[in-house]
Amino acid sequence: MLKIHNLCKKFNSEKVLDNINLTIKKTEIIGLAGASGGGKSTLLRCIQGLEIPTSGTVECDGKIGFMFQDFQLFPHMTVLQNIIYSPTLKDREKNYEEKAITMLNKLGIATKASEYPYNLSGGQKQRVALARSLMISPNVLLCDEPTSGLDVNATNDIVNLLKNVQESDITMIIASHNLEFLSKISDRIILLKNGKVAADIDAHKEDAVNQLMTCWDFQQSQ
Amino acid sequence: MEKIISNIVYVASGIPATLELLLGGVVLGFTIGTVFSIMRYSGICSWFISGFISIIRGTPVILQLSLVYFALPALMGVRLNLLTAGIIAFGLNSSAYVAEILRSGIESIPKGQFEAAKTLGIPVFPMWKDIIMPQIVRNVFPAMVNEIIALLKETALIATIGGMDIMKMSQSIAAEQFEYFVPLCIAGGYYYSLVLFIEYIGKKVEKEMSYVKNS
Repeated sequence: MLKIHNLCKKFNSEKVLDNINLTIKKTEIIGLAGASGGGKSTLLRCIQGLEIPTSGTVECDGKIGFMFQDFQLFPHMTVLQNIIYSPTLKDREKNYEEKAITMLNKLGIATKASEYPYNLSGGQKQRVALARSLMISPNVLLCDEPTSGLDVNATNDIVNLLKNVQESDITMIIASHNLEFLSKISDRIILLKNGKVAADIDAHKEDAVNQLMTCWDFQQSQ
Repeated sequence: MEKIISNIVYVASGIPATLELLLGGVVLGFTIGTVFSIMRYSGICSWFISGFISIIRGTPVILQLSLVYFALPALMGVRLNLLTAGIIAFGLNSSAYVAEILRSGIESIPKGQFEAAKTLGIPVFPMWKDIIMPQIVRNVFPAMVNEIIALLKETALIATIGGMDIMKMSQSIAAEQFEYFVPLCIAGGYYYSLVLFIEYIGKKVEKEMSYVKNS
């Protein structure tokens, strides 16, 4: 589904991504862990094409959706307009409103369809952002820190929502520094440290979190 | 009293010319200004646009007006009528200021908005038209109203090259009757009323556009 080969990214002389090699299978859920500044966002942005890699390649067969850490909803559009704008642009004949309402219902925010983002809470904005990126029917969904700024309940909600999404055959890469959250949701967790893959483990293994913690701490104390 | 009324009526005959200059100048200025600001942001001919803005802002409007009206015919062999020359000069002048206002507007939009549009596969033209510009217009609207008001007052310069606007009409009464105070006050009253009207419309539109309602 997604192949990353010898990917490097430098900002000025600082190496943010250092020779990343990854192969991600279809419908796999990847948790991308690591401290702030570890290169998680940059890796997602390189996959999406928002950053041009200094060297190396990213191959992806399929459409990529992206969920931003700060949502980036369009403030002058209502929730409904936000999520149907892009699909409607591509196919003016088709009416996407029904699909959008179904989607909003699934995410539990159908009552907010005609509200502006300004009037929504963080968790609600998160759901709108998710709905918007799903409306373009992506094959791969990249989520940048989907739980930052959310409380425990909202985080659990996001876990369930993302699990639901996964039922529709989407490959996901979720960047977060919240290991507990990642272990609940991922099939495989990749730990990025100083721009390198420091660990790549099966999240279903019992001691996955501990293993990651050790790896993370060990790396940090170095 | 009768004389004052006849003066008021006479100066009013300059209103159409003033309005034509204002309208033409605003349409031309806002169109070119918008195109220039987007081109400069996208790095298309940005050196040319920066130079243009620098020169326009760095020279007097009356000089630009005289260049278009007097010098252009000699150079290019085209004879422009006064109103056309005025609209071109005021429009070009205004476009430089509009482009600068819009630049501050573009820079006020988070980079993530452009990126969000990109990740959703929205092409460049609809992105500017539906995503970026509507946000910019709301942010810079007060500055734009300001620019329109400034342009209205600048149109009075057309009187110096013989345009028949509000200013010129009051001046010609003054010259005829050797009486300055009343005709100039009448012209001032007309300009001020027009400015108040523009402010009124501006406030209404601004309120209408707002999506942040504190109700």
